[in-house]
Amino acid sequence: MRNCTPLRIIAPTAFVFMSVMAHAAHGGIFNHDLPVPDWGLEAAKTHTPDYARDSPAVLLSDEYVETIDSEGRAVERERYAIRILQPEGRRQAECAVSYDVDEKINYFREWTIGADEKQYQAKDTDFVDKGDPNDSVMLMAEKTRIVHPPAADPGAIVICETEELLPPYEQEQQWNFQLTIPAVYQAFEVDLPAGRNYSTAWHRHEPIPPVQVSPGHWRWEVKDMKALDLRDVKATLEWRALAARMSVQWGMAAVDGADNQWRQLGLEYATLEAHRTDATPEITAEAQSLAAGAPDFYTKLKRVTEYIQKNVQYFVVERGIGGWQPHYASDIFRNRYGDCKDKTTLLISMLQVVGIHADYLPVDDRRGVVDPDAPSFYGNHMITAIEVPADMNDPRLMAIAKGKDGKRYLIFDPTNERVPVGNLPNYEQGSYGLLSAGDASQVLALPVLPPDANGMEESGTFALNADGTLTGKVDMTSVGPEGADFRLNLKYSDEKERHAGVERMVAHDLPGVTLDGLEFVQPPDLEKPLEIHVKVTVPQYAHTAGPLLLVRPRVIGEDAIAFDDKPRTLPIDLDATGHWHDSFDITLPAGYVVDDLPDPISIETDFGSYRSAVTAKGNVLHFDRELVVKVVQLPADKAAEFRKFEGTIVFDEKSAAVLKKQPTVAAGGS
Amino acid sequence: MTDSVGTFPAVQLRPRRGLQLCALLLLASWFAPGVALAQFQNPTPDELKMTSDPQAPGAAAVYLYREEKTDDPHSFVTIYERVKVLTEKGKSLATVSIPYEKGMAKISRIEGRTIHADGTVIPLTAKPDDLVSVKEKGFQEDTIVFTLPSVEVGSILEYRLTIRYDDNWLIPPTWDIQQAYYVHKAHYEFDPDMVGAGEKGRLMWGTTPAGLNIPVVTSPNKLTLDVADIPATPDDDSMPPLNTIRERVEFYYTSEINGAEYWKNQCIFWSKGMEGFANPSAGLKSAAAGMIAPGDTDEQKARKIYDVVTKLENTMFTREKSKQEQKKEKLKEIRKAEDVWKDQSGTPNQIALLYVALARAAGLKAWPMWLAPRDERIFSPLHFSIDQLSDFIVVLEIDGKTIYLDPGQKVCGFGQLAWQHTLTGGMQMNEGGAKLAVTPADTYKNNLTVRAAELTVDPQGGVTGTVHIEIGGAEAVELRQVAIEDGPDELKKKTIEAVLDDVPDGMQIDLDHFDHVDDYESRLVAEFKVSGSLGAPAGKYFILPGLFFETRAKHPFVAQAKRTTPIDVHFPRLDKDMVTYHLPDGYTVEGTPKTDDVNWPGSAMLKIDSGMQNNVLNVTRLFARNYTLLNADTYPALHDFYLKLAQADQQQIVLTRTAAPKGN
Repeated sequence: MRNCTPLRIIAPTAFVFMSVMAHAAHGGIFNHDLPVPDWGLEAAKTHTPDYARDSPAVLLSDEYVETIDSEGRAVERERYAIRILQPEGRRQAECAVSYDVDEKINYFREWTIGADEKQYQAKDTDFVDKGDPNDSVMLMAEKTRIVHPPAADPGAIVICETEELLPPYEQEQQWNFQLTIPAVYQAFEVDLPAGRNYSTAWHRHEPIPPVQVSPGHWRWEVKDMKALDLRDVKATLEWRALAARMSVQWGMAAVDGADNQWRQLGLEYATLEAHRTDATPEITAEAQSLAAGAPDFYTKLKRVTEYIQKNVQYFVVERGIGGWQPHYASDIFRNRYGDCKDKTTLLISMLQVVGIHADYLPVDDRRGVVDPDAPSFYGNHMITAIEVPADMNDPRLMAIAKGKDGKRYLIFDPTNERVPVGNLPNYEQGSYGLLSAGDASQVLALPVLPPDANGMEESGTFALNADGTLTGKVDMTSVGPEGADFRLNLKYSDEKERHAGVERMVAHDLPGVTLDGLEFVQPPDLEKPLEIHVKVTVPQYAHTAGPLLLVRPRVIGEDAIAFDDKPRTLPIDLDATGHWHDSFDITLPAGYVVDDLPDPISIETDFGSYRSAVTAKGNVLHFDRELVVKVVQLPADKAAEFRKFEGTIVFDEKSAAVLKKQPTVAAGGS
Repeated sequence: MTDSVGTFPAVQLRPRRGLQLCALLLLASWFAPGVALAQFQNPTPDELKMTSDPQAPGAAAVYLYREEKTDDPHSFVTIYERVKVLTEKGKSLATVSIPYEKGMAKISRIEGRTIHADGTVIPLTAKPDDLVSVKEKGFQEDTIVFTLPSVEVGSILEYRLTIRYDDNWLIPPTWDIQQAYYVHKAHYEFDPDMVGAGEKGRLMWGTTPAGLNIPVVTSPNKLTLDVADIPATPDDDSMPPLNTIRERVEFYYTSEINGAEYWKNQCIFWSKGMEGFANPSAGLKSAAAGMIAPGDTDEQKARKIYDVVTKLENTMFTREKSKQEQKKEKLKEIRKAEDVWKDQSGTPNQIALLYVALARAAGLKAWPMWLAPRDERIFSPLHFSIDQLSDFIVVLEIDGKTIYLDPGQKVCGFGQLAWQHTLTGGMQMNEGGAKLAVTPADTYKNNLTVRAAELTVDPQGGVTGTVHIEIGGAEAVELRQVAIEDGPDELKKKTIEAVLDDVPDGMQIDLDHFDHVDDYESRLVAEFKVSGSLGAPAGKYFILPGLFFETRAKHPFVAQAKRTTPIDVHFPRLDKDMVTYHLPDGYTVEGTPKTDDVNWPGSAMLKIDSGMQNNVLNVTRLFARNYTLLNADTYPALHDFYLKLAQADQQQIVLTRTAAPKGN
């Protein structure tokens, strides 16, 4: 999978998002030996609350002011104070501001009140700008200015003040007020010129009414916000999907009602992509050539989508508005490389040549980040919504989303080079996206595909020797996104890496395994399943225990999702729907018979089913199991049921058959 | 390891420009120097139709040709590469990144093209991007990035460029002969600036690895090298640092006449500096006197000073004070050990040297050693550069016994070196000045980990109990440093994750407490509560994992049958596991884990034993490995040992139900 940033993520509070450089921050004009400002001294008086005592640091105060001019361009000022509580809290106290070619840092100042009450102001030698040109496929001109605060030791308070002129095309801001450290007091202000409106939307937090500071100037406050720590939470959504935030619009989307806001956001994006999809004669010729003779809609579609998937390499250098706006289709076609926006652009361009209409669909590849109730450009990826003719009912077109107007859209991700058109990567199923379709723009629920659209069949035949050695072969057939993941691994690995990867996968269940053979069958048609054929020898697979020989009928494959007994308040992420089936035959060694077998298992729930059975016929032990997962996400109140379900699978995966040596019958008569 | 070496005398005399070596060009691995911009070559029919390479089976790409030329008198380097893309993965080579120091170097004349398998040529027309990597006062590192267009599997990627650097610098090249992909042919040239090197200037070079004949050709003004059929850089697990393996030639300007002279003079120069820094001044003598008692033995003195010094603020785990703070706190710039003592704070190296000074002040024989940390490189005396050396340790001599100390690491016990500082070389001071030396290997006994579990099993396979873990040696050093740098919470999380990685699926682990986190002379102790589902019923039988702590262990060296690279496991170790199962009533044990001793004489051993009394089953496992670095020719024995070990660790315990279990 390759992601990209179709739209710039605008996430305040640098100390939380340092690692992703997501904070809006500015490189600064600093150092005039200014004393600690009064607001900083006031914030420093805040006591550390009890709920923060075990944290590495606590945000005492953080205030944003967005001042919007008559053109809608914002100047953002942020003032914040953090108390370092533990040595590792120094990391949280490194203030940072990111900036690109269309932005300007007006100032960036930092003071520290040391644990000994001495006061310091950061000098220009304490600041550094960092870019990230080392990614091999996605490079950005954006830089982050970071200050290394003097005297930043436990007990010290780091106080930062920044002001930045934001780019003209940014007319919304995210206020991420739930962080990785607790926060005592936070405020956000918007100061609008006369005649300009705003709208807000809240994600995972009840809306808070603003206070009017002056005409056109509004202020929201949040107090005592607990940190969100997901490190020990099993089967969870991504951090950004769960952290509370508020979105503020002051551009075209500053209208009432979520539907209206989504529509305006779609219209706003349309201005960025205008004429980008215009086809050149070369594009037209290529698209027509691909579609020539296609017997039906699906075939035509498939030829064009596979062309993009297989021929346009993922590579981009983003600069300024390039984080939002795609390149022209002509450039993408000539260079054969681009990011997710570019791949979508060339796809839309080629599809329109062959008479298929498609639209941009900004999304986030982390399920739950895009919130239908919180209209915003917040997201990190671009995919395509392909309009399906009303009379088209091809069962291969599974990833269908329905618009509010009844139109049907096939959701397709051209950046994922191996999930075929008609299917959809797991990580996008159950998410939401912004359909940018002019006046028909809207938030679109992405489909969750049925179990048969994804999964794996494993069948194996093995022979067990009396010394415990197992030899045999496993044939794996993988379809849908799971098959696509294998295909991507194959694409980006060489032979040695593939061998090592399969060996690691198999060795997890079969320590000491030797791969006697490995073959991949990867049909060019992405719809066809991927096959992996493995031959193995596993010394001492079965273990002797006195007269017994113990053998685990489940030779390879793990279906269980790790979970625990802790109380659950967050939704449970199941990753993917699918259907997984294992069938293994083990020929027993001569002289051994089955003494005991595990009991069969069958469990059925709303979200999935699992059944498993071991049988013996003659000298062959047969294991058969099937897992079906029907949903990608469960509410927290289903935790007990999910725990039981996964516990059953874990239990079954450990079970063993017991073989006993037959007594030797003496030859001869009485 | 030993390397071959060559020298190249100065041929002209010109005013000395200065022997300045620098990392001016922060180059990608493929980068190296040249003289005149190479001409693009027309592909041969064989190159065009090539779909795989029998000399590099399964490779994603191969270099058809590489050329690096350095013209040091005129301060420029040219690069030329031709790459054949063989798989989808190989397409990534279309993107080329060149880091450089802004203001000191300039990348120019970038030309490139992609040639498809049918001979179609697509020239590079997009302007390369120049992106900031790091920018701070007085320094900026940028990266030039470009991507060759329209790359396909089967394409030949071809590009050339020039790097011009500041005239005031001499830049002797390093020729990385071995690349990430197989190289069919490569040509290297170096025109050294012996005028700029000065009257006494000479050129020397060292080659790696040991015993490899790299035929550098010298002519009056130039060194050249033509190579062919170079395999890709090895990429195995547990390899020593690449500087010992990767084929390369490193050039140096020097005023010495040979390598021995170089190191002799470096030792003299360095030891003078050290004598000045680690001088036991009156202030330090007074401080040392306050730490020791009159009747103390030399070892007692050494330990007491060690305790004090390792408790000072070590800026590797906190931060270095800015000039502003130093000024505000009236702290002087550190020029000698006494300044470190006054500040009660220093870098690891400063703290090590402070220890030397205080030990000397107390009348002990103590010397610093400057070495190459083994996690970065292994010292080679045939590479004539003190840039190899970065870390200081302390060498004590007490009663004829040599003791190595690592006070700069903060959490090493007395007499313990961090593993990075074992089995590596550098310059060591002694009574006669300084010499090249190597640190000793660690022993397995110093790296003991004890894991004990007390588990009560119920008839349904549920288990509750405790786990007790003691960690000593190198692992304890790493965990304690995590605790200092990232906090106790991180230590807790890392330890729990490590235990969960080993124990059977379905177990829940909760930390009860740690002991001896700050007592570096003792093993780090962690106590856990465990619960979960452990047993797997099979009819009237009940099966438990035989080796509780090894159920999911990932054994190294099992999957790979052959190997040509040396092995570096960082440090030797000794593991003792003791698991007690309290079994439910009504079961008898059919079989328990046992192994005839698995021995790799002198190098490793495994012993598993078990015993049953009443309803209590005890299983013990003892594993030791007594090696750190191994040559590739020992790999068959290593592989064989780990195969046996992996199999032995999969044993299980079978219980047979003899009566209806009580309870449910």
